[in-house]
Amino acid sequence: MNVFLAVLRKDLLTEWRSRDRLVAMGVFALIVVIVLYFAAPPGVGSEQRAHVPGLLWVAYVFAAVLGLNRAFALEIENEALSGLALVPADRGWIFLGKAAASLLLLLIIQAGAALVFALAFDVAIGPVALPFAAVAFLGALGLCSVGTLFAAIAVRTTFREVMLPLLLLPLMVPVLLGSVHATNALLQEGTLPWSSIQLLIVTDAVFLIVSFISFEYVLDD
Amino acid sequence: MSDALIVARGLEKRFGPVRALRGLDLEVRAGATLAVIGPNGAGKSTLLRLLSGLTRPSGGALRVGREGGDRRSRRGRVGLIAHASFLYPALTARENLTLAGRLYGVADPAGRADALLAEQGLTGVAERRAGGLSRGTSQRLSIARGLVHDPEIVLLDEPFAGLDPPAAARLAERMGALRTAHRTVVLVTHDLARAAEFADQTLLLVRGQSVPLPSPAVRDAAALERYYREAVE
Repeated sequence: MNVFLAVLRKDLLTEWRSRDRLVAMGVFALIVVIVLYFAAPPGVGSEQRAHVPGLLWVAYVFAAVLGLNRAFALEIENEALSGLALVPADRGWIFLGKAAASLLLLLIIQAGAALVFALAFDVAIGPVALPFAAVAFLGALGLCSVGTLFAAIAVRTTFREVMLPLLLLPLMVPVLLGSVHATNALLQEGTLPWSSIQLLIVTDAVFLIVSFISFEYVLDD
Repeated sequence: MSDALIVARGLEKRFGPVRALRGLDLEVRAGATLAVIGPNGAGKSTLLRLLSGLTRPSGGALRVGREGGDRRSRRGRVGLIAHASFLYPALTARENLTLAGRLYGVADPAGRADALLAEQGLTGVAERRAGGLSRGTSQRLSIARGLVHDPEIVLLDEPFAGLDPPAAARLAERMGALRTAHRTVVLVTHDLARAAEFADQTLLLVRGQSVPLPSPAVRDAAALERYYREAVE
């Protein structure tokens, strides 16, 4: 638990000092909104709104990939990742610390991007803000759990920027299915589909457990 | 040898088709200093990474510590001071050491950090970020980081590289203190004079294999250089 807190604190402190992940993720999400806003045909408001959940999650996923890649870039300098791998604790706690830091940053980006999407596409998120936040959290948890595992693998490869999305996106299908479906139902009908939430909870739990256990081997040379 | 703290039997490490270590046999007594010398690519750093638990052997047997135990417990027994500093450039010198203390479960990480900063003569740069420190100062901070949990076994990979004479003298003094404290030290170096000065045991590695020496420890730097040249050429 100490290792978890130490890694979380270190990641947040280094991000607070540089802000490079938050800025990169935020700018990227904003660009996605702007591009999608101008790409959408004018005068078909309700049709545009039907696509908002999918578009929103496109922005979330790619901002997350950007942030996850950066999360391990700082561990490569001075081989700090090897320094972490030497710690005499279950390496799963290192995974949890890094995943929690990435999750917190992604939640901030999600909140900002949702606000901009709501303004740009005239979508009322306010009345469903709490269930929407729960869906965004569950989706982000899935992204950051297995994303942290794959970022740790990808960072030691030659094409790490390309490798992470290649490894991550196919596995993200159940998370995206659940998240987009739940977001769509919330924004269109104001209801939260239990089947989507169940899918997200089960997928997140499996990803967290598998990543926690696998991290011991991922950090080996 | 009953008091051996490190025992390797037929130790192998392969990276794909490359055999970095080929059937290495090794015993290091508790409290002894082993100097590992050899040309580039001989497998010296690979040996340190195996001893530290950073990597797994491809074959053979390895015991580090009296009880052996799993790799996790081995990682707690050793302090690795490698080529890379393991430091976070965005954190200050003190924050880097405090973080290391927390990661290793040290009782008072901040107090331990301050003690190590004083010991390495780094109190003046305690609040400076590691990314802005000179090579030599980073090296001293890296040494402090490796000793933060007061390890039973200290693994040093070219620790004198990049140090100015006063810092090198301080490190030599620190190595003497480790010996007095009965710590087991594995020193990888290209500096044969340092190897002869510190070693109770000497291991000459060439192409992943141990080259026999006339005595377990070669204290004469000139003789050591002669054996080295013969083995390499």
